[in-house]
Amino acid sequence: MIASDALRFGPAAAARRVLAVSAGKAARGGVRRLGRGNGTAVPGKVAMAIDAGTLAGLSAQIRRGAVLVTGSNGKGTTCRMLAAIMRAGGLHPIVNHEGSNQLAGLATTLLASAGRSGQLPADPQAIGLFEVDEGSMPAIAPQISRPAAVIVTNLFRDQLDRYLEPDYVRSLLERALRRLPADTTLILNADDPRLAQLAPELPNPRLYFGIGDTGHGRDGVDPTSDFPRCQRCGGELAYSCLFYAHLGHWWCEGCGLSRPEPRVTVTKIDLLGPASSRLRVAVPGAETVLDVPVPGLYNAYNALAAVAAASECRLPGAAFSAIQQVTAGCFRMERVAVPGHDVYLALAKNANGYTEVLRAVLGNGEPRRMLLGLNDNPGKQPDISWIWDVDFDSLGGLVPAAVVSGNRAADLAVRLKYAGWLGASPATDLVTEPDPVRAFELALARTPAGEPLWVVSTSIVLWQLRDWLRKQGYVGQLWREQQGAGR
Amino acid sequence: MTVMKITLGYLYPDVMSTYGDRGNIETILRRCSWRGIETEVRELRLGDQVRPGELDIIVIGSGGESQQRLIAADLAGVKGPGIQEAVAGGAAALAVGGGYELFGRFCQPGEGAELPGAGLFDTWTVRRRAVLGGHYGTITEARADRVIGDLLVRWGSQLLVGFENHSGATCLGPSAQPLGQVVRGYGNCGDGTEGAALGNAVGTHLRGPCLPRNPSLADFLICAALRRRHAGAVLAPLPDHLEVAAHEVAMARAGQAARPGARARLVALRRSSAQLRQSATGPGQARRPRRGPARLHIGPGTRASGDR
Repeated sequence: MIASDALRFGPAAAARRVLAVSAGKAARGGVRRLGRGNGTAVPGKVAMAIDAGTLAGLSAQIRRGAVLVTGSNGKGTTCRMLAAIMRAGGLHPIVNHEGSNQLAGLATTLLASAGRSGQLPADPQAIGLFEVDEGSMPAIAPQISRPAAVIVTNLFRDQLDRYLEPDYVRSLLERALRRLPADTTLILNADDPRLAQLAPELPNPRLYFGIGDTGHGRDGVDPTSDFPRCQRCGGELAYSCLFYAHLGHWWCEGCGLSRPEPRVTVTKIDLLGPASSRLRVAVPGAETVLDVPVPGLYNAYNALAAVAAASECRLPGAAFSAIQQVTAGCFRMERVAVPGHDVYLALAKNANGYTEVLRAVLGNGEPRRMLLGLNDNPGKQPDISWIWDVDFDSLGGLVPAAVVSGNRAADLAVRLKYAGWLGASPATDLVTEPDPVRAFELALARTPAGEPLWVVSTSIVLWQLRDWLRKQGYVGQLWREQQGAGR
Repeated sequence: MTVMKITLGYLYPDVMSTYGDRGNIETILRRCSWRGIETEVRELRLGDQVRPGELDIIVIGSGGESQQRLIAADLAGVKGPGIQEAVAGGAAALAVGGGYELFGRFCQPGEGAELPGAGLFDTWTVRRRAVLGGHYGTITEARADRVIGDLLVRWGSQLLVGFENHSGATCLGPSAQPLGQVVRGYGNCGDGTEGAALGNAVGTHLRGPCLPRNPSLADFLICAALRRRHAGAVLAPLPDHLEVAAHEVAMARAGQAARPGARARLVALRRSSAQLRQSATGPGQARRPRRGPARLHIGPGTRASGDR
């Protein structure tokens, strides 16, 4: 690679790349030794400042190209599941750390695998598996050489003060897809009407996935929906089956455009409480039952996306069952044992995420103990308006003695008051405690011995809590560099 | 004693609800029901007319450019006259964000023909560039052309808190009254004014949603709506400690973000606002402020500063 660089660009350019990689790696070591700061982005930034082609140059050395995973929700879990299948199928995926999903973060991931000479080890089984921030797709997609597939999980309203409106994010995605080679497969969620007509003029092969088990449809509209219109004619959409938000079996009442028939589907879903589910997954020519150790309809979509991509990569069906051993990612219903209780940490950073996590935990109607957290990004994004789109209203009474925490705990308390969560009795009324650690202790004290406690929150509360849990010895240390995760 | 009842017209509930706008509806409904006031909600969609005699309060939420394009002609042609007549007859109204912009005379998007508005307020909005259609290469670039941040507004004797996220400048015509003055943030067009007020109608860029954190504004609207049906009706006070706490958090947030010079004044304002909240009197009509930046106004140079 160095040799070919030297031929193409001359020795100066090749030397520049080596320097970029070395400087990036040095920065990475430095940040780690200091044990602080956001180590996910700094090395990539350093390297890209020296040589803007670092990411493109490194990604070109991955023998089997790369799969990109983008969308509003489910990127991280989809990547974890797909990585497990890839490994079971004999591939060696290079995966970016969750949250380090922008340009510099991705470059950092590849720097970590590269030697000082600026080269990745020659590995015929290597494949890139990159979670990509949906807003960063136009910048990243053209830098990835040989993208085998791009997965788009869904598009929801998400952090409007960061991503602006979903229609705008969609237009960014289209721009990114238009710069892909014509043979990159687009793996799209058929149930999301915003994705059905994504850059429709492109010749790229499309592989749709979607839920086929209509037994999990909802009645009426979902309060978390942002009611997208038909992407072809602007008409109103109708649903024969709505799973959640705006995902379902849809068609346009104006022009007749309808949900594309997915080739990868779940034909049967058994939601087995707040910790797991059983999925019967059908790919062309085969059907397999998967016991997925994560709950909820949203994780069925994540499993589907992973299986769809695995079948696209021609991985054997036997490898799909590797999903069954996937452990929950950091804050993805992550179980932590503290004396007397199991604690589940669940990240929820937009209206759909928060609602689907709550539904996964409370779906069977059994009351559960919870700490609910909400923080904004101090000095930056002020928008927490989305809590008013979370479907707290239908879950009132299921969370006795809730504790509310985070720097916007007061707003969440108001939200829950207006959702009818107050007034049962002083003993079971919710309490507000902005400090996450004090809130956690309070929540544990209010949870009967032996019962689990769920912590559902945006990320800052969860990180503060995790720091404390680590100091208490209840969880192991994560790489600090994972701290880029979301908000 | 007769049961008191008001009727709420909710405009385009499935289109104009980008910033948790259902929270404003929820707040009106709950604050009425806690006081024993019945509320009937009429959802008015594309094609539905506004019957001015039947509505006591009209609410339209926020939406982006694509949503505005969808509703503009209907709002101006089908609903506009009814809205104007209802407000002239004393009905309350709340218009937020994109809905506020379209309650004015027109809205000029970044590209294409101007969108007609309902013509309730003597205002118009001009946007720099189209959000959609590839005019912005990156989110960072798109954000740089927007006003994103905390917004604090002096409304009569009170302070309203929330945030703003918009890309247009809303200009006040000669007969328009602002809702209030910007204490922190950008507001209408950087001239120190924020929102518009006409009779019992309020238009504002305040997101949040604004009513849950500003219960005095919610009660002002409810009271106006109620008095349309029941002259002289008085609202019973409610235990608002949670709402006041959320109001305080938003004030503190905006205060931290403010420039040092503004902070002392802000603290004083906060103190006076806390005192005034306890007296719980309805605000008077906001006076039209001096032209030119208000003393505490912080201009567009500070907007979207959090972006990297």
